[in-house]
Parts: sequence; C-alpha cells; structure tokens
Amino acid sequence: MSFQDLESGRGRSTRKFNGGRQDSTQAVASGIFQINTGVSTFQRLVNTLGTPKDTPELREKLHKTRLHIGQLVKDTSAKLKEASETDHQSGVNPSKKIADAKLARDFQAVLKEFQKAQQTAAERETTYTPFVPQSALPSSYTAGEVDKVPEQRAQLQESKRQELVLLDNEIAFNEAVIEEREQGIQEIHQQIGEVNEIFKDLAVLVNDQGVMIDDIGTHIDNSRAATSQGKSQLVQAAKTQKSNSSLTCLLLVIFGIVLLIVIIVLAA
Amino acid sequence: MAIIFALVARGTVVLSEFSATSTNASSISKQILEKLPGNDSDSHMSYSQDRYIFHVKRTDGLTVLCMADETAGRNIPFAFLDDIHQRFVKTYGRAIHSAQAYSMNDEFSRVLSQQMEFYSNDPNADRMSRIKGEMSQVRNVMIENIDKVLDRGERLELLVDKTENMQGNTFRFRKQARRYRTIMWWRNVKLTIALILVLALVVYIAMAFVCHGPSLPSCFK
Repeated sequence: MSFQDLESGRGRSTRKFNGGRQDSTQAVASGIFQINTGVSTFQRLVNTLGTPKDTPELREKLHKTRLHIGQLVKDTSAKLKEASETDHQSGVNPSKKIADAKLARDFQAVLKEFQKAQQTAAERETTYTPFVPQSALPSSYTAGEVDKVPEQRAQLQESKRQELVLLDNEIAFNEAVIEEREQGIQEIHQQIGEVNEIFKDLAVLVNDQGVMIDDIGTHIDNSRAATSQGKSQLVQAAKTQKSNSSLTCLLLVIFGIVLLIVIIVLAA
Repeated sequence: MAIIFALVARGTVVLSEFSATSTNASSISKQILEKLPGNDSDSHMSYSQDRYIFHVKRTDGLTVLCMADETAGRNIPFAFLDDIHQRFVKTYGRAIHSAQAYSMNDEFSRVLSQQMEFYSNDPNADRMSRIKGEMSQVRNVMIENIDKVLDRGERLELLVDKTENMQGNTFRFRKQARRYRTIMWWRNVKLTIALILVLALVVYIAMAFVCHGPSLPSCFK
C-alpha cells in the first residue's frame, strides 16, 4: 500500500518536470530563430540606405524593425535566464544542459550581429539624407503651386537631356582615348615582334660563327702538331750534319798523310 | 610643336592664356567657352577646326583648354590639361573663384609655355611614347649588333682561310724536314763507308811495304 503510494507520487512529479523542460528550451530556440529572421530583414533595410530607394517610409520601417527585434531580444533573454535557472537544479538531464549552453552561445552570436547592423544603420542614417520622390509630396496643393509642376517636370527633362549629352560626350572621349591607346599598344607589339625576329637572326649568325671558330681551332691545333714534328726532324738533321762534318775532316787528314808518304818515297 | 595654344578659365572668364604662334585661337576658344554644354559639370570634349583640335577639360568649375595639332592625338593633350589644372589649383587655390579676367596671366603664362614645350617635345610626357621610343632604340641597337656580327663573320671567314693555309704550310714543312733528315742520314752513311775503305787501303799499303811484296809473302810464311 505504502509502496504503491510512493510510486504514484514519483510518476506525477516526473511528468510535470518533462513538460516544463520542453516548454522552456523550445521557447528559447523559437525566440532565437525569430531574432535571426528580424536581423536579416534589418540588414536588408540597412543596405538600402544611401540608394534611390532610401525614403522616409523606409526609415520608418527600419525604426519599427529595430524596436521589434529589441522586444524579441528582451523576451528571449528572459526565457534563457529561466532555462538556465532550471539547469542549476539537481537531477537535471545532462543533454538538456548541453542544449541550453548551445542556445546561449547562439543567442550571443545573434546579439552581436544585431549590434553590428545597428552601428552600420546609425552611420548611414547620419551620412545620407532620404530621397523624397515627387509622388510623395502632399496632395493638398494650391492652384498656383499645381501650375508649377509642369514647369518643374520640363526643367527636369531638360536637365536629364543635358546630362545625356554630357554622358555621350564622355563616352565619345573615352572611346577615342581607348582607340588611340590600343593603336599605340599595337605598334609596341609590332616593334617587340621585330626585335624578336632580330634576336633569332642574331642567334643563327652566332651559331654559324661558332662553327667557323671551331674550324679555326682545328687548323691551329693541326699546325701546332705539324710544326712540332718538323722541328724534331730538323733537330735530328742538325745532329747528323754535325757528324758529317767530322767525318769529312777525318777523310781529308788521311788523304793528306798518304799523299805526304808517297811524295817522300818517290823523292828518295 | 604639337600644342600651340593653352588657356585657363572660370566659366567664360579667361584667367590665363598663352599662344606659341600668332593665331586666332583666342577668339575661337572664347566662342567654345560660351558654347560648352552643361552647367559647370565635369567633362572632356574635343572640337576640330581646320587642321587643329581644341581639347577642353572642365573639373570643379575650372576649365582648361588647349589647341593642338591633329597628329598629337588625345592622350598627350589631355595629360597636358590634367597637369595644368593641378598646377593652377595648387598655385592659386581659393583665389580662383574671385579672380578677375587675366589676373593670373603674368605669372602663369610662363608655366603654360614650359608645359606646352614639355608635352610637345619630351617623349617622357606619355608612357606609351616613351615605351615606343625605347623599343625603337632597342631595335636600332639590335640592327647594329647584326651588322657587327656580320662583319665579325666576314673576318672569321678570312681567319679560317688563313689558318687553313697555315695548316697546309706546316704540313709541307714537316714533310720537307723529314726528307732533309733522311738526306743527312744517307750522307753520314756514305762518309762512314768511305772512311772505312780509305783506312783499309792505307793499312794494306803499309803491310805491303813491310812484307816485301804485293801479295805479302813473308808475313804468311
């Protein structure tokens, strides 16, 4: 009996706890998603500042979007705080803690992005003034002022026509400059081609002359070898000639002696 | 001279001008200033008249105009206009807006003259012209190099012929030297043989006397 009572009580408390966790976490996720969407819209509006689409209506829309995102940030911040308070209780599922930590990080990131977009918006709002189109003028005009509208329209058309004339002049000028520059570049290109041809011809000539110089080297080497051999031959010939001279002298001396003996014998 | 006339004006008020030759450019340029389209908006325009072209550049309410030869093209005249505009603004600054007609002419006409000279004659005025000039120089140098190499080729041919002749001569020298050595050797051989014969004859005669007869009878007894 008492056991059944205890089990019944635990079941009830578990069910209540599950419901609370799911509501809190999902609310934070939903809030962050809405803030992300709002910040994207805000950034798109900020990018329009400074363009012809920049009108007082756009600035009003920008302001409303900023307020809306601010409100979303407040609500989501409160929910996140509530979820983190729940996390501190004992017996909480660890996966819930991890999910809440991730949501907190995402919230910080989206907040930073929103602050950056706000800064850009402030800069551009001070830099540019909104463009007021003609159609936006109030419809309650006096008869005299209504008469001025055709004149203003005519002036506007005249100034636009003059602007077109100026643009045509600029285009003609730029085209002429570009054509002249292209012609100069063509001439330089042609001259570089000519120099390239000259270099090729020079290479051919230098190659041929290399062959000639090789021939000259060969001739000189052959001449050197032949001269050396001739020189050695002449050296040997000189030695032989010296020996010949000695032999000739010896023969003459012997003839002299023989002749002398013959004369002495005949005289006796 | 490519740029002949130059002028600086605020609206239709001429502040300074210079003309290299006596022409009617001054009056024509005044007409151009009056007929310029647009109200003080920046623009570049060129008007042709006879053989000359008037180039006009208007920036920040200041108009610079020059008359140039047809052959000058557009790059150099508009570079000249840019340069004059910068120098003028740098020199006179805010005084431009309140100056009277021709009040800067005494000082600035000299600057106009110098810059006209520079942009007309100096090849460095335009990067394209400078590169063209340098490429022409390179081409001329290479043509000179080709001529020098051809001349060198001719001399090398002469040198080949001469070394060929030298080679032939040294071959003949070697052959003659070898022949001379052979002749000397044979002469040496002949002299040696002659010496041996003479010595043998002398010995024979001496022995004939000693042995008392031509057949040497007493020596072989």
